[in-house]
Amino acid sequence: MAHVSVPMYWRTIPQRYRLVGHKCKRCGEVNFPPKGVCKYCNASSDFEEVRLSGRGKVHTFTLIGAGGAPPEFAEQEKAGGSYPVTIVELVEGPKVIGQMADVNPKDVRIGMPVRAELRKIYTEEGVIRYGFKFVPEPGGA
Amino acid sequence: MPVGISGYAAYVPRLRIKREEYAKAWGSFAAAGVAEKSVMGYDEDVLTMAAKAAGRALDSSGVPRASITRFALASTSPPYREKLLSGTVLVGLGVPNEAFSSDHTSSTRAGTEALVAGFEHLGSNAAGKALVAVADAPAASMWDPIEHALGAGAAAFVLAADSLLAEFEGHASYASEHAGERFRPPEEDRIQDLGVRKFSESSFILNTTRAATALLTKLGRKPEEYAHVAIQQPDARAPSSVAAKLGFTDAQLAAGLVAPYLGDLGAASAPLALAAAFDVAKVGDRILVVSYGSGAGSDALSFKVVADRKTPWSVKAEAERRENIDYVQYLKIKGAIE
Amino acid sequence: MKKVAIVGAGQSRFGEFPDKGIKELFLEAYQDMSKSVDRNFDPKRIQAAYIGNLGCGGFQLGNLSALMSEYIGLPYIHTMRIENACASGGYALATATMDVLSGTHEVVLAGGVEKMTDMSGSKTRYWLGVSGDTEYERLAGTTFSGLYALLAQRHMHEFGTKREHLSMVAVKNHKNGAMNPKAQFQRETTLERAMAAPMVAAPLNLFDCCSTTDGASAVLVCDADVAKQFTDTPVYVAGFGTSSDYLAIHDRLATVSLEGTRRASERAYKMAGVGPKEIDVAEVHDCFTIAELLAYEDLGFCEKGRAGPFLEEGHTQLSGDRPVNASGGLKAKGHPIGATGTGQIYELFHQLRGTVQKPGRQVKDPEIALAHNVGGSGGTVAVSILTR
Repeated sequence: MAHVSVPMYWRTIPQRYRLVGHKCKRCGEVNFPPKGVCKYCNASSDFEEVRLSGRGKVHTFTLIGAGGAPPEFAEQEKAGGSYPVTIVELVEGPKVIGQMADVNPKDVRIGMPVRAELRKIYTEEGVIRYGFKFVPEPGGA
Repeated sequence: MPVGISGYAAYVPRLRIKREEYAKAWGSFAAAGVAEKSVMGYDEDVLTMAAKAAGRALDSSGVPRASITRFALASTSPPYREKLLSGTVLVGLGVPNEAFSSDHTSSTRAGTEALVAGFEHLGSNAAGKALVAVADAPAASMWDPIEHALGAGAAAFVLAADSLLAEFEGHASYASEHAGERFRPPEEDRIQDLGVRKFSESSFILNTTRAATALLTKLGRKPEEYAHVAIQQPDARAPSSVAAKLGFTDAQLAAGLVAPYLGDLGAASAPLALAAAFDVAKVGDRILVVSYGSGAGSDALSFKVVADRKTPWSVKAEAERRENIDYVQYLKIKGAIE
Repeated sequence: MKKVAIVGAGQSRFGEFPDKGIKELFLEAYQDMSKSVDRNFDPKRIQAAYIGNLGCGGFQLGNLSALMSEYIGLPYIHTMRIENACASGGYALATATMDVLSGTHEVVLAGGVEKMTDMSGSKTRYWLGVSGDTEYERLAGTTFSGLYALLAQRHMHEFGTKREHLSMVAVKNHKNGAMNPKAQFQRETTLERAMAAPMVAAPLNLFDCCSTTDGASAVLVCDADVAKQFTDTPVYVAGFGTSSDYLAIHDRLATVSLEGTRRASERAYKMAGVGPKEIDVAEVHDCFTIAELLAYEDLGFCEKGRAGPFLEEGHTQLSGDRPVNASGGLKAKGHPIGATGTGQIYELFHQLRGTVQKPGRQVKDPEIALAHNVGGSGGTVAVSILTR
């Protein structure tokens, strides 16, 4: 198992459920996921919370097969075949990694518009961890 | 002061399995009138489906999340038997933590139960806004014919006292004791049914007709005054017998008949049928909704359409977004292969 | 800078050994190293040990260095486990070098050990994902292979790097590895076979990925002033450089290069007073074939985006002007995570001294060698420049 404890997961729920980013008060850039010190100006720990739209486009992607899947995702891969993982460039600027859902893996392309939505990520110690995955934008919520 | 619905939306998962796939596997398909049904994805559950439908309903209504004062979530197949379910969806949506939230489960009547709870809230909170999300994906043993009809889907509604697309005219309910038809003991995810057919049918008809008749009497309405009737659909034929007993025609059932292409949606069956009726209803149309939950009980709700506002996420649009799977894929996704 | 020397280097066979644990493997490397010292080898002179290890299997995360040191007969020294994922070995050498440069110790052991093939499939795949960003990269469903696949996909998109280029790296390294008796895999492969292998994380297939490996390596580092006591032909650490980078790829400046490699190699070149064009032989970190292509660019062997053509032109073949991975690289030689970095030093030690076991792999008269060792997907990088 991934060894992510219940409180450790809970601390990231604002990011995972609602894509809450941290806008640097000094330079105005949005850090997502958040950092202790703004990674753009490297000079401030003073942030304001902003809820990101979840919209963006595929910057790069891969299709994970059985040999590439961590044990937490092994059954998902067996049940549904290779799943796409993408780094998405969000419209607000940051890039973030996430699985894609609701898409035929063959159709994933660099540049494809996507949007984040809530999905089941995995289960550890009997507790379901939810978080965002990206779905294709036309036809997405 | 009228209360009613100011926004709604449907969500149906993308995967579909056709009756022919079942017939290949089992030699026959047991769900009457069902041509195909929807299948929930591996990484979905009723909470993610509820969140998706509810987000859409909010976007469709234009009501800001921050103004929601009541949240009601309904499903017979939640991922936990004990854990505050609405918390996950509420936080996921950005609805205020202070909103009164309630989880409705334990029978397929839960969807309308949640709707009634939302309207009751507005009765004493005229400035409030209620969000109702119903999502279900009932399951049964693959060896059991009742499994054949079970589909997956969600519908959500924003309830308010202003900017209505449909007014809520009232409701009536009926509850009875009919232990031994569709049920699930503790520690069991899969529906059981003893198969005492006449007993189950008579409960279905008794509860639904009592609730519907009580409502029509209370409101002083006749069946022909309703453009659409949305009745619980354990399969595509069950609503017809209820309709006939009440004096409704199959034509009045048509718009809300979702089982033929989505299957048995559990607690979301009547709500999605209502959404499908809203999708085609005209201003002035009345819609009657009749749910049923085994064990047993029924709610009847009456609506009148007052504005021509449709959701972008109609049941038809959702049904058209699809990918077919075969029976082996179905078994894998449902985790049915031990 | 001729202040730090390497006077001995050894490694175990790299491969899968159910009958050998980390103790046996580390002893094998240490004994191999002691035999490589030309004269006057005396364990009592070793004052410190820096032992690279990720901790695979998790059974001895604490105090591993104490266990390894006493097992090989060095019970009371200054010993530390160095962990920077797959760059542990390179950092062990850097730490040993800094130790000797500081004057604290005179003779120091730098090495590494890893045991990866004892575990169940599920546990192995767990450990393959612990060096990336756990919270986001792992929970997006990736391990090591998925992360490099993301880099590969973007590199192919931006520069037109082809599927063939990836497989050509595998073919080259297996050809070299076939001549390395210490390598895990000693068989050549064909381009057709490499290109047709099953997909692991598209576009990377099985032949684009290094294997899991057991192994250990050890090098003897000392003050250059005492090197002559051990050998007439020491190898010198002319320079080294390290750099870290944002752990998650999505946080990085670019997804078509490893900034860590760029900065670490810049620092190493500066310290050594040489440039990329003067490197005569290099061992680079080809955990995945794309990693070798990125290394050509980020180490300055060729321009950004031109790694595919650079490979096609033959520069990095044994017969070329910049032979890369004469040992077979991680791909053919194997990748026992903590031991890989000093395993590269072992190869270059022999290349510089002209003592490579199979002459077919010996590069002709190299003077300046470079080792490039990357942790995970590039969170840490250590570059060493050796001269004779």
